[in-house]
Formats: sequence, structure tokens, C-alpha cells
Amino acid sequence: MKKHNNIWLTVDTVLKVVILLAFIFPFLWMISTSLQTLEETMKFPPTILPEVPQWLNFVDAMTSGPFATYARNSLIVTISVIIIQLLVMIPAAYAFAKYEFFGKNVLFALVLIAFMIPGQLTFIPIYLMMADWGLIKTLLPQILPFMSNAFGIFLLRQYFMQIPEEIIEAARLDNANEFKIMWKIMVPMSKPALATVALFSFVSHWNDYFWPLVMTDSNEVRPLTLGISMLRETEGISNWHIIMAGNVVLVVPILIVYLFCSKQIVRAFVYSGIK
Amino acid sequence: MASIEFVNVTKEFDKKEIIKDLNLKIEDGTFTVLVGPSGCGKTTLLRMIAGIGPQTSGAVLIDGKDVTDIAPGKRGVAMVFQNYAIYPTMSVRENIEFGLKNNKVKKAERTELVESISAAVGLTDFLDRKPSTLSGGQRQRIALARAMVKKPSVFLMDEPLSNLDAKLRAQMRIDLIELHKKLGTTFVYVTHDQVEAMSMADTIVLMNQGLIQQEAPPETIYHEPSNIFVAQFIGVPPMNIDELGVGGVKFGFRPESAIGSTEAGTTPFSIRGEVVTREMLGSETLYKINYKDTSFMIKSLEDRFTVNQQVYVSVPTEKMYFFGEDGNRIPTSHPSYSSYIEALRSY
Repeated sequence: MKKHNNIWLTVDTVLKVVILLAFIFPFLWMISTSLQTLEETMKFPPTILPEVPQWLNFVDAMTSGPFATYARNSLIVTISVIIIQLLVMIPAAYAFAKYEFFGKNVLFALVLIAFMIPGQLTFIPIYLMMADWGLIKTLLPQILPFMSNAFGIFLLRQYFMQIPEEIIEAARLDNANEFKIMWKIMVPMSKPALATVALFSFVSHWNDYFWPLVMTDSNEVRPLTLGISMLRETEGISNWHIIMAGNVVLVVPILIVYLFCSKQIVRAFVYSGIK
Repeated sequence: MASIEFVNVTKEFDKKEIIKDLNLKIEDGTFTVLVGPSGCGKTTLLRMIAGIGPQTSGAVLIDGKDVTDIAPGKRGVAMVFQNYAIYPTMSVRENIEFGLKNNKVKKAERTELVESISAAVGLTDFLDRKPSTLSGGQRQRIALARAMVKKPSVFLMDEPLSNLDAKLRAQMRIDLIELHKKLGTTFVYVTHDQVEAMSMADTIVLMNQGLIQQEAPPETIYHEPSNIFVAQFIGVPPMNIDELGVGGVKFGFRPESAIGSTEAGTTPFSIRGEVVTREMLGSETLYKINYKDTSFMIKSLEDRFTVNQQVYVSVPTEKMYFFGEDGNRIPTSHPSYSSYIEALRSY
């Protein structure tokens, strides 16, 4: 019996290591490349560890374009999107979770359908609309279409539904209005779900390439993702070491944010019954 | 201070009528207990007073004023929920303070109120703790303090003791009686436990299937039940009831009214049966007595009989109850009352 357990334990560990490597290898490869010289990146067989770490690659990457502007644009877009989404999602999810009103199921179905329509289908009409409004020279085309987040509404609704009705009734008897109930009772009790939704939003907008590519036509409004893709070619050779240095810069904020909310995220999925 | 009145109130859930045309007046300053089996509509009535489950039709009056359109938080009522409904992300202090803050009470006054109330319920040392670190009894006290601090004119309690262990529950019963005496406000208390109802109430409102069966002080409910349902709901064990064999009439007597003896009794109701079970409860003993094809429970202060023993059971005539075919009690003034008594001899 004990031997049996040992075999499973070994298989279990091996599988975990394999999956871990599959996930972590591209990251390590990216970091390693970002510290190599151009010749080293093209060597065969490839070197895993750089011979001499080339820290200047980062400086080269960041000075090869208006990166301060790109970074500012990325930050403004991502943070605005998160804040606006939370302001829209919390009341919507609260209403869907705790109110009975005419057309509730139809409206919720619409939200779920919206969740399933990819941006690749809607970008042309949205671009035309934004151009019509003369907004292409601003950051708004990257913010306005993402004011609501169907997945977020869904996740928050699931979470809100598990909060006992009595707590809300107790708050009503304590003379709290609906606004107070939402911000003082529901929101503090839903921190894990809110952190998860915010992080997903952060990652998807921080990393977004397609949407800004379509919606921008000048460096003034381009985000980091576009800036880094423009590092790609100089005189016909791919500067992999510079591109990877740019990518490291792009990924670091995500890692930092994730370190702060990983615990909350796991909790959110356990509670909402998705896991 | 406030009286509460239900006028022709009905309540439907999904087209099903839970409360049918109910009228009830709860006097100012009383400790009224709504009691009945689950699903009888007692909690529904309580939620109507609070305003968190409005009536389908009819009116609820607090101090003579129709409160149908008044928000729960503005009715001057406070409620203690069965599961306490404490705000888990707030400290004990914030929980107690929340209602005061919403009512725009000044900070200095708030602090003073919170301190004095928490001292009264013994929470002073826990004010800055999170509720999740406290025991069930302490959480119960938070819920109570949160209600008391608002100085409501009506206290509503929905089975507040059902999550506590038996010992704590007995203690809290006494605490609640004292609290009511001290505050003098109207208490409306919902329970399915007749012991809680009997021990705390000034007035018991006994309900079944959305209808009030009887509304009376505990002694009256016990000694003068208005129908079979009341007679069997109140009292442990419940009243013994069987067919008299005359015109559908039933007779009944309480286990504690029966006298067990080894010699035949002289009362109209006197039977000889066999002891089937014996439950020694300390101060009293319960016997189940088999007689013909039925059985009766009797309660005795002395432990005199053993299982399988033949005993005589007699019941004094004045302790006998009779109920008509419709289940309603037949009063002693009824013309055929004495004939029913005589009928007991041939039972």
C-alpha cells in the first residue's frame, strides 16, 4: 500500500515539474536573451546563461523610442479602464445578484452574450465611430469601449449571490441606503473577487496589442506593447536581445501586481464555485 | 414605545397564500411571542413589521400609523436575526456603530452609546476585534447590542437563540426577560420552541398555517387552550387526546393532571393499563401507559412504577378538556358538558 502511494507521489511530482517548466521556460528564455549580445542570441547551440550580462540592453531598448510616452499611455489606459470598469461592474453585479426586476434574466443573458463576442468582430464599426467623433488622436478609443466587462459582472454576481440576504436586510434596518450597502458591506466582503477582476483587466489591457494597433496612428497615443514591437527590426536584422529587454520591462509590472493579489485570486475562484 | 397592528393582512409567495386575512394587535410595551410550527407564517409577520418583506395586501400600523411606505431603517424598529447577520468585515465597534452613523449621530455621542451598550452586554473587551474571532454567544451579543444601541421603539427577534447551546440558551432567556423589563419597549419574538414562548412571553400568539389559533398570556394558553392544535402544541409531552365515542367529540388531559395509582380511582375517567416505557427525568418521571388500542403519557413527581406493571390512571373531572368535531374546545357551560363527563365512565 505504501509503495503504491510512493509511485503516485513520484508521478505527481514529475508531472508538476513538467508543467512548471512548460510555463516558466519562455520566461527564463526571455530574461536570458535580454541579457545577451546580438551575436550570442544567434549562436547555435543556444546559450542558456549569458556569458557576460549585458545590462545596457535595457538602456538601449528604452532610449530607442519615446518610451516614457508609451509607458505613460499604457498606465493611463490600464488604470482608467480598471477604475471605470469597477464603477460600472459593482452596481450591475449587485443588481443582478440581489434585486428582482422585470427583464432581469433577459438582460443578464445579454451580458453573457456580450462576453462571447470577440473584439475582432467589433473593431471596424468602433474605429469608424471613434474616427467620426474625432477621437483617434486621443487615448479614449482605448478606454471607452472597455467601460464594462461582462466577465467581471458575471464573476462579481456569483460572488455577491453568496452573501446572505440577512446581512443586507440588517443594513437596511440600520438605515443604510443602497449605495452604502454596496460600498460598505458588499465591496469589503468581495475583495478577493474584485482583486481578481481587476488583475484580469490589468493583464489584458496592459498586454493588449491588437486594439491599440488598430485605434492609434501616432506615437503620442501608442502604448508600450506597440513601442516594443517597433523595436523588432533595424537594418533587416531582428534585435532579439533588445526586443526581449523591452518585453521584460513590459512584464515586470504584471509580476509585481500578481505578487500582491495571488492569494485573493485563489480565494475568489474557490468561493465563486468556478474552480 | 410603540404598539403594532395588523389590519386585514395577507401575504402571497408565488401565488400561494401564506397569511390569510390576519388581524392582530400587539400592545405597547409587551413581550409578545409568535410561536408555531415551521411554515406557519410567524417570521413572515415579523418581516412585515421590519419592512423587509412587505404584505401583499392590508396594512401594518406602528403606533396607529400605516408604515407600508416607510423604509425599514426609518420605522424605529431593530431586529436580531437567527444567524445574527453581523457585518463580517467590520470590527465589533463598527458593527454596533453602523446604524448610528447612518442616522447621523454625532461622533462623541456615538462613542458614548457604543461604550455603554457594550458594557451592558459584556463586549467591552472585544470592541476592536473582528466578529470571526468571537464565539457564538458573543456574536449573539453583538447582534443584540447593535439593535439596542439604536434605542428602537420595537425590538424584533427571529429565533435569536436557536444557534446557541442549551445552557447558554437558558441563560439568554433570563437575560432577555431582564432586558425587556429594563427597557420597557415592545418586544416581538419569533420561535418554534414552546418552552421559549412560555418562559418569556406576556402574550403568546400561537399560529398554524397562516392563521392565529390563540392569542393569550402563557397561563391561559396552557390552562384554557381554545382548540386541539393549541392543546397539543403547548406542553411537554403534549396533551393526551382520544375519541370520546359520542358525536365525534374528543376528550383530552395533560400528562401532569393524571394520577397513577395501584388502586382503582373514583373519578369518571379511571382506567387500568400497563406501563410500557419509563423515562426518569430527575425531578419527574414520564410513563407511557398502554390501554386497549391506544396509549397515554402520564407525568409523576414520584418514581413509583416499573415497566410492565399494571396501574390505574385517573384524571380529576376539572382537569378534563373536551373538543368538538371541528377541533374547537367545548366550554364547561355547554348544555351537554355533563353528559360528556358521564360518557367518560364507559370509555
